Amino acid sequence: MLLSRMKNVIFYAAIALSCFAIGCSKVEYKKIDDPAYLRVFNNLNYKIGIDNKDEQLPFLTMLIDPEMDQNGMPVSAQIKGDFLDKRDPYAPPYPSHIGSGTSVNNPEYPGRENVLVGPVLNGFDLSSWAQIPSGKHRIVFMFRPKNTVPFFNLDPKLKKSFLIDTTMVLDSKEVYTLHVLQKDFLTKRNGIYLRKENFHKLPLSDSSIYVNFYNMSAKGYWQADNDAKGGNEYGKGAMGNGVKDQMNIFVTLYKNRTVSSPKISGYNGKYLGNLTRNADVLEVSPYYSFPLFADASAGGIFTDMWQRFDFLAPGMDIRNIPYGPTVNQTDGNWASINCLTPYPDYRQWNEIVMPNMIVNIHSGKYNPRSFATVNTIEIVNGNVYLSTIQRKYAPPVY
Amino acid sequence: MKYESLKKCLYFLSVLWLLGLNACKHDDLHIDKANDNFRPGFDFVKNNYDLSLFASAIEKTGIGPELNGAGQFTILAPSNAAFNIIGINRPSDFDKMNPDTLKFLVQRHILNERIMLKDIPFNGIDVRYRTLAGTELYASIVSRDNSNTLYFNGSLASRKDVTLANGTLHVLDRVMKSTANTTVQGWLSARPEYSILVSGLKKFGFWDELATEGPYTILAPKNKEFEANGMTAEVIAGLNVNSYIGDRLFGCYVMRKKHFFVSDFVVFSIINNDSFYYHPVANDTYIMTITAGRFNYDNIYDQSIGYNIEVRTNKNFPYDIVTNVKGHDQKAIDNLTDNGLVQDLQGILILPEQAIKSN
Repeated sequence: MLLSRMKNVIFYAAIALSCFAIGCSKVEYKKIDDPAYLRVFNNLNYKIGIDNKDEQLPFLTMLIDPEMDQNGMPVSAQIKGDFLDKRDPYAPPYPSHIGSGTSVNNPEYPGRENVLVGPVLNGFDLSSWAQIPSGKHRIVFMFRPKNTVPFFNLDPKLKKSFLIDTTMVLDSKEVYTLHVLQKDFLTKRNGIYLRKENFHKLPLSDSSIYVNFYNMSAKGYWQADNDAKGGNEYGKGAMGNGVKDQMNIFVTLYKNRTVSSPKISGYNGKYLGNLTRNADVLEVSPYYSFPLFADASAGGIFTDMWQRFDFLAPGMDIRNIPYGPTVNQTDGNWASINCLTPYPDYRQWNEIVMPNMIVNIHSGKYNPRSFATVNTIEIVNGNVYLSTIQRKYAPPVY
Repeated sequence: MKYESLKKCLYFLSVLWLLGLNACKHDDLHIDKANDNFRPGFDFVKNNYDLSLFASAIEKTGIGPELNGAGQFTILAPSNAAFNIIGINRPSDFDKMNPDTLKFLVQRHILNERIMLKDIPFNGIDVRYRTLAGTELYASIVSRDNSNTLYFNGSLASRKDVTLANGTLHVLDRVMKSTANTTVQGWLSARPEYSILVSGLKKFGFWDELATEGPYTILAPKNKEFEANGMTAEVIAGLNVNSYIGDRLFGCYVMRKKHFFVSDFVVFSIINNDSFYYHPVANDTYIMTITAGRFNYDNIYDQSIGYNIEVRTNKNFPYDIVTNVKGHDQKAIDNLTDNGLVQDLQGILILPEQAIKSN
């Protein structure tokens, strides 16, 4: 009796001891006072080929508040966004990069980086934005070779190619997107573009889908020779050769994902607004909206609707487009983006296909249920990027 | 009895606890010991039958002891077959060379840093290093199916990352051809076998720019190629500049703002699937389509690469193919100078009658 009690005591003592041994580490929580929220994209999407083999590979390292040695070479930085690769065409409404895949290449910042991210601000999930101390920062983008060696461990001679070295001021609790862009297609001048977003301050309804557009293409891109800019590549659509500096935007909504899908009345080539090429001014484009349930027959819970945007040069009529649907060489007069398509072999058409702007997901007792989003479509040198920002929604009930 | 086993238990527990404490300590028992089995640079080259010509070249220049010394080296050792390509078949052939030229040749195959395959950025094009001779070395690397193809100045590294006690060694299957302190202009004018090309370039006003910064890639047919097509020196001298499209007739041999090793076309065909390179003839509709790759498929060990140029009247259909010319001469391609490269061409691109002005 006594023995078994002693045994018990010893057993528990051993457990308690090991608990003590493990329990010594102290968790340090990181905290940034007065943060600004920053998301960074590398929009340099050119290809290195025979003709431009002396150009730098568009693979970057971002250094915020770097420390330089006497030769002007960065040796450390407060914040480092390494392996910044060409951005993905679609930036989904949730942080989709961290923890997925073994590659170090990061299609955006923070992306794969394990840093403090933004909260839910006015109902918008900012978990794809990194927290950065607000205030004035020196920001440097460096070209780096494409390998898996962290930037500061690279050979010194590979740490010398500056893309830009500048300063930026970030205000507290503001949301920013920072773009590395080519500003001039002929001189190949690169630069950055910092946009102070305002979607979280606008009175946006959650029964409407919002979208705004930017044409951040380099000056002279659409005028350049189609072969020189590699715009005629299969799958890049008419957009590959660029669109003119002034375009009108039209939206068409389709009821469902069948090839003969009916267009929703009232949204068949509806004029939305004007798009001006602009890679310099830091203004937010106006948000255009259309109802989530434009299709009244959908029932108010789930809709199969998808969207198409046509960009037409001023003076052109959407009812009378003088190019066929597979023609890529439209002289910058017409290009289109489909957010979803019924065609499995869509690359033969001249439109660019993106994911649907509507988020359909299990929420509450409905599976799926449709939610409206806030979107940004950016056109950069023949490529199209869609970023979707999502609101909170109720968790699923099983 | 009871207490005995309890005591035992306590005793073991304390021993266990001590063991547990000890387990946290990680003595580094691994001791790095210098490996005596690796040879230093020059000894390795000397002891390798396939590198015997390079060894005797090093011996003649007297930098052997330096290569055996401390410090890190990268030796880009051309194999004996590589020396055979440029006409060196036995050690005594080096005696015919100017000793300074020979020293320069050896020194530009050696770097005083260790460059292994993993140090060169993945799919890097023209990653630049500095050789002992002070010249720039261009390394290009491309990976496909887990195998890396590495070129130094257009020469394939057929063996990579050979360990030396004081660095690393790569075996090249071609001697890197480079000339110090010269331009493409100087290179061409020093070689009488290209005199007809030179006279044509002079006559049509492309010559003077070849001494400027560039970079230029010159496609250079030898005199015998011109003569075979009836374009002798006298014929060139008698051409009326105003009745020919100069940009086409001789401008096609001058590629401005380009410096191509033949291997670049191979590298980009793997990285980008760009198997064809279209080079427009300046101020003309004519276009040159350049492709490159292996050409000797009879011998699987022959990894030599060469290039082909097809001249077309227009890029897009309808067009006529004007000529199709190859540049496969391993001893005459990839001649590196300070402002570009000269690539030997085994044929001529445009005949005078194909460049007559129509009005």
